[in-house]
Amino acid sequence: MQFEKRRANTKQEIPTASMPDIVFMLLLFFMVTTTLREVDVLVDFKLPEAQAIEKIENKRLVSYVWVGSTGRIQVNDSIVKLEEIQDIMYKKRQELPNVIISMRVDRNQEMGLVTDIQQELRKAYCLRINYSTNIKI
Amino acid sequence: MIKKRKIKEASIPTASMADIAFLLLLFFLVATVIDVDTGIGLALPEPIEETDIVPVSRERMAALLVNENGDVLLDGAPISIFQIKNQLKPRIISKIELPANKKLIVSLKTDRKTNYNLYIQTLDQVKLSYFETRDEYSNSNFGRKYNDLDEESQKKVQDKIPIIISLAEPESIKK
Repeated sequence: MQFEKRRANTKQEIPTASMPDIVFMLLLFFMVTTTLREVDVLVDFKLPEAQAIEKIENKRLVSYVWVGSTGRIQVNDSIVKLEEIQDIMYKKRQELPNVIISMRVDRNQEMGLVTDIQQELRKAYCLRINYSTNIKI
Repeated sequence: MIKKRKIKEASIPTASMADIAFLLLLFFLVATVIDVDTGIGLALPEPIEETDIVPVSRERMAALLVNENGDVLLDGAPISIFQIKNQLKPRIISKIELPANKKLIVSLKTDRKTNYNLYIQTLDQVKLSYFETRDEYSNSNFGRKYNDLDEESQKKVQDKIPIIISLAEPESIKK
């Protein structure tokens, strides 16, 4: 008695015709969600940690102020002096009326400098600020 | 006589399209910044030349002072950072039903030499006590946490428990 080997007649292949479509869909998603890194950070800082934190919903409204451990202040792409902050921020606020200033201050910095920056921001009427912190687990 | 030639089916090879798409995808994957901005939000007061001194009753104020030695004082008494929340929460809760001009004001004052991290820790505790109170209030009144409420109810909770944090300017230290 002879056993006949059963073999399927169909081709054993995964259809790859739709792969480009899937990849393009992924690509589109990433293209839409990407915000490219715009600036090089020139100061070194370590953020403090906190529990009661909020997400900043609209990234396009955010403008950053970095304060490094040595007290250097960076706005946009360059290191600035304390007195220059007011002018820069005033211009920013004219472009974006409800700008949020995210303060990325080194955790070992002193409050005096932070307060000075805040006073400058007040003069420029940039009143919405956000102390950038990492989440504490 | 002109022979009619049959045109072969013209086609663009699409086999490499997936590769190109993958390359683009890889670029965007690498270039994407995933980290979300998180932090403690605050609104600074408007710049005013002349400050009117508004008398505020002591009962309404919670004065926090973080001095340069790293001590935290609540209404003049030293307190550990982790105790702030326990002290503030009952005071916020007791003022929920009071009118808007009687709500608690938290005044946060620092010295010029105060460590920034300590200031954030203190501010974090203040915020945390407000958030927890809001959560508890919405849980008992709307049956959901504050963040899951619709905007209208959130507004109601905000009216009941407004976050009033007053940043006092640090005293300049004479050299």
